[in-house]
Amino acid sequence: MMASRFALLAFLALLAGCKREEREARLAPPIAEAQGAVLVMPNGISGRPHDVIAAQGDAFRNNAYQLSQGKRLFEWFNCQGCHADGGGASGPALMNGWWRYGPDPVSIFLSIRDGRPNGMPPYRDKLTTEQIWQLTGYLQTLGASTASLASTSRNDAMHSRPAENRAPAQAGHTTRPSP
Amino acid sequence: MTRPPEDRDLRDTALDTGQEPDALERRLARIWRTPPGLVNALSTVDHKIIGRRYIVTAFVFLALGGVLAMLMRLQLAQPESRFLSPDLYNQVFTIHGANMMFLFAVPVMEAMAIYFVPLLVGTRNIAFPRLGAFSYWVYLFGGSMLWIAFILQMGPDVGWFAYVPLAGPQYSSGKRADIWAQMITFTEISALAVAIEIVVTVLKQRAPGMSLDRIPLVVWAWLVMAFMIIMAMPAVVTASSMLILDRLVGTHFFNPAEGGDVLLWQHLFWFFGHPEVYIIFLPAVGMISTMLPAFVRRPIFGYLPLVMALLTMGLLSFGLWVHHMFTTGLPRLGESFFTASSMAIAVPAGVQIFCWLATIWLGRPAFRVPFLFILAFFFTFVLGGMTGVMVASVPLDTQVHDTYFVVAHFHYVLVGGAVFPLLGAIYYWFPKITGRMMSERIGRWVAGLLFLGFNFTFFPMHILGLQGMTRRIYAYPAEMGWGGMNLFVSLCSVAMAAGFLLFFIDIFRSARHGEPAGDNPWEASTLEWATSSPPPPYNFVRIPVVTSASPLWDEKGSLPVVSGLAVNRRELLITGMGNATPEVRETSPQNSIWPFFAAIATSVMLVASIFTPWAVVWGAIPLTITLIGWFWPRGTPEDDS
Ligand code: HEC
Repeated sequence: MMASRFALLAFLALLAGCKREEREARLAPPIAEAQGAVLVMPNGISGRPHDVIAAQGDAFRNNAYQLSQGKRLFEWFNCQGCHADGGGASGPALMNGWWRYGPDPVSIFLSIRDGRPNGMPPYRDKLTTEQIWQLTGYLQTLGASTASLASTSRNDAMHSRPAENRAPAQAGHTTRPSP
Repeated sequence: MTRPPEDRDLRDTALDTGQEPDALERRLARIWRTPPGLVNALSTVDHKIIGRRYIVTAFVFLALGGVLAMLMRLQLAQPESRFLSPDLYNQVFTIHGANMMFLFAVPVMEAMAIYFVPLLVGTRNIAFPRLGAFSYWVYLFGGSMLWIAFILQMGPDVGWFAYVPLAGPQYSSGKRADIWAQMITFTEISALAVAIEIVVTVLKQRAPGMSLDRIPLVVWAWLVMAFMIIMAMPAVVTASSMLILDRLVGTHFFNPAEGGDVLLWQHLFWFFGHPEVYIIFLPAVGMISTMLPAFVRRPIFGYLPLVMALLTMGLLSFGLWVHHMFTTGLPRLGESFFTASSMAIAVPAGVQIFCWLATIWLGRPAFRVPFLFILAFFFTFVLGGMTGVMVASVPLDTQVHDTYFVVAHFHYVLVGGAVFPLLGAIYYWFPKITGRMMSERIGRWVAGLLFLGFNFTFFPMHILGLQGMTRRIYAYPAEMGWGGMNLFVSLCSVAMAAGFLLFFIDIFRSARHGEPAGDNPWEASTLEWATSSPPPPYNFVRIPVVTSASPLWDEKGSLPVVSGLAVNRRELLITGMGNATPEVRETSPQNSIWPFFAAIATSVMLVASIFTPWAVVWGAIPLTITLIGWFWPRGTPEDDS
């Protein structure tokens, strides 16, 4: 009895492990399309992602590969050009746990996809939906207040900003940054 | 001690009274046997049981790796195929390579040694048998880890040699590369353990009279292999530990941004990796040298040059590793040196071939299945050797580096040079292991299918490589024009798979229903055929005395034997390194469950250390406990000479 329960637990843990390392280099087109179908509140802030995100085990948050892809895109598309590394420049810092448009993934997704009025350009035509989700997942780990089991890859070179897989971000930043 | 002293030291001479004819056999069997039951099965230290498990496990890994190979061929059979995703393909080719090299080829050669070295040198058990048991469990757990990781999509995907920076912390997220590195650690531990056993057994436990020039050639080959393992494995131990450290705790051994060096990885890996090819190849040629006399009915031609060739190849193979790195931009002088040394190794290889040809020429060949495999080896290996000389030259290597030409080349040397002789050896020694013959008729089919299937599968890959098809691609566009040849290759690989399938079927069939073999079905000359098939737990009723290089041929009537060994405890004879003159009687360890526990503790520690460095600290505690159990003194007084 005990043994079988233990075996079941172990099996579930293994299954969870399974999703953690899954990688899909070529998304099937219907899935890619579904990922873009977010339900948004009329004010363009917060909403609900399509069920397919949950069905994939929230991979953009929980899968090391997806997070690493997000990190790579963050550099390739020079997001730190406006958001700087932790300090914030013309754009907000993104890693202090403080979000102008709310912390939920759909808001972040929308900020990147459609842009925001005070100077955030839209990336709709530059990135695929999947890539935008990867960025979203990555940004969430930047400002996370709880540690996560999945972490991005670690840079070989010195980090110009705090490492992502450090202890919860809140420790360093507790006050609201001055605008 | 309440027991009378002579009870503690009862010798076999005391049983020679003739009252009970099989008293000696019964006593020996009682002392050396492995009683039935699960715990006893896990505690056994009988080299034959461990060796058999090792061989079977290695062949299971061979079959699994073969399945992966077929998956790859299915994927590549046509252009732009969508059968495997790119990610899965990466894992499949990585695990195919790592599995075949680390979980099949090296271990199976060690496994054969564990089984046959003690029989071939005429002793009762291998040296440090508990280490052998430990080695097997570590190997089993390490191999299972790799395959379980694969099933969980956590399989390594960085190629079987896991080059940094691809395998480093920046480019390999997740735990995949760690799984690879830890799998290496597992195989290193088990291989080093076996190597030490082989060296000691060969040097100190040979039957009296088996001086260095009477050692069967395959035992020489295993001895050289063991020394090579001891010298080569530490390089990859270092490399894989450094990789793990880089990834887990942020050391920067291979990180150029912080002053580390990515080429260091390639040097360390190939300093092991190239000798590894010879670790696989030398036992295989040793098997040929030992099998050949039985099928041509004469002693091997050129014993001394053959031993010299083994030693030379063992030595030279440590000076070639850079030829794997010709495209990394080395200085000219370095490239020339390693080209020269790579070509030089063809000399001892050639010497061997000519010795074998002379042996066949002077003998009366009997075309039995093992001999067919030897012939298949000749053809295939010589071709692989030729392309080897080709890729040893820098300009050609630069052209074909990382193409299918290289894939074809190393399959020719590894399958042709090691797998064919190994299969021949299985056909040859199967009767000794099981007491039954494998089918001669099926065997011919197996040899034929494998030989033709192999050559038709891999020869076209040379051409594909010259046409520019790179290795490790999961798909190719139709415009490249590689489709036809790839389809042909994939079709022929089915013949090869059929050959292996038939081989496994024959193994299963023969193990149950094969013809009873008798002690010496091939009328061969080496000591393992002097005992029954399968051998009793104590191997030999009395340790034989060796008077020539072909003892069973030269001592037609009956072998002279040693007497005076104890029969109330496990005892074997230690002899001198050079002339094998008897030195002392030595006790051989009892069965023990502790090596099994120690292997579990080691495995848990290694697997957990993928996730946290603290595993090494906490894991050391159970490991220490199991080692204390393992080495707990027995309380019997040490033995005398
Ligand atoms: C041209 C400068 C610029 C670039 C480049 C830029 N951003 Fe922004 N971003 C801004 C500004 C300015 C804002 C604030 C918008 C507002 O408040 O309306 C912002 C807001 C955001 C927000 C919303 C933050 C919040 O507090 O809710 C997110 C998320 C974001 N950016 C992500 C990104 C990502 C990911 C990239 C790279 C692909 C990127 N940005 C590139 C200027 C930029």
